[in-house]
Amino acid sequence: MGAHLARRYITETETEPDPAKPFGFDPEFGFGERKEREMVASQAQMNLAQVPVLQRDYCAHHLIKLMKCKRDNWPNFLACKHERHDWDYCEHQDYVMRMKEYERERRLQMRKKRVEEAQAA
Amino acid sequence: MRISLFNVTATIEHGCRGFQKLGSSSFQGETARLLGAFSQIRAASGPSKGLLPGPYPQTPEERAAAAKKYNMRVEDYEPIPDNGEGYGDYPQLPDRSQHERDPWYSWDHPDLRRNWGEPIHWDFDMFIRNRVDTSPSPVAWRTMCKHLFGFVGFMLLMFYLGEKFPSYQPVAPKQYPYSNLHLERGEDPEKQPEEVKHFNI
Repeated sequence: MGAHLARRYITETETEPDPAKPFGFDPEFGFGERKEREMVASQAQMNLAQVPVLQRDYCAHHLIKLMKCKRDNWPNFLACKHERHDWDYCEHQDYVMRMKEYERERRLQMRKKRVEEAQAA
Repeated sequence: MRISLFNVTATIEHGCRGFQKLGSSSFQGETARLLGAFSQIRAASGPSKGLLPGPYPQTPEERAAAAKKYNMRVEDYEPIPDNGEGYGDYPQLPDRSQHERDPWYSWDHPDLRRNWGEPIHWDFDMFIRNRVDTSPSPVAWRTMCKHLFGFVGFMLLMFYLGEKFPSYQPVAPKQYPYSNLHLERGEDPEKQPEEVKHFNI
């Protein structure tokens, strides 16, 4: 927890990625074949469901199911456990993917540095 | 003290009657008579002439008389230094507000914390308990300043450092579909957004 901050600001200031800047490496680099992320809910469906803009991510179809379930079961606020779990799990996987992307970027930066040092030597 | 209108008119009438009496004598001293008439116009209320402040005391006898006038001991009496501002023989009392006086002593005027006949400070109306307070602070002024500005300065420094070196989670930015929600963000619908591809990992 916080090791990345120590790396970014103190020990490895050149190679630690900055999440504010876009990641420059080719997304296919290092992978044989990469599957594209699939967006299930269409824009029209998200508009009709009035999903807030910041929640229109790759898990929006689960969120729309959850919203419908909540609306149908009100006032029973304990009713939608299954839908909520589905949405939560999707969001969790999304977060884990973000962590993996960050780590991939970091390793690629370190590799780049190693390559440059080998060439310079 | 306010001079009531009745008093003024009474004294003016009295002064005028005096003028009429003088007016019966010769014409020559008319100017003197006019001045004499006006010197009789004075409020009937207020302290008598002996109790009013006088000029700066030059001799020890004048000092003693002034001290007696202000109900002070001769040892305690010290007139305000004569710098041409016209304080006269008014005593120089310590610049302490009424807040500093004992709240538990039974003063004649408890609200003003003053006894009858006590000499009144020149700025007494400023030093009453609703106004300026000269009581000592609980801790020395320098210490209070150091603590306050030290704390504020430290917080400013820390916020500045927080801006320069922000803390964040080691995750890539969140990925949104449909070209980063190009239409949902309200951008130009005609303009073709750049193709953004997201992959599973």
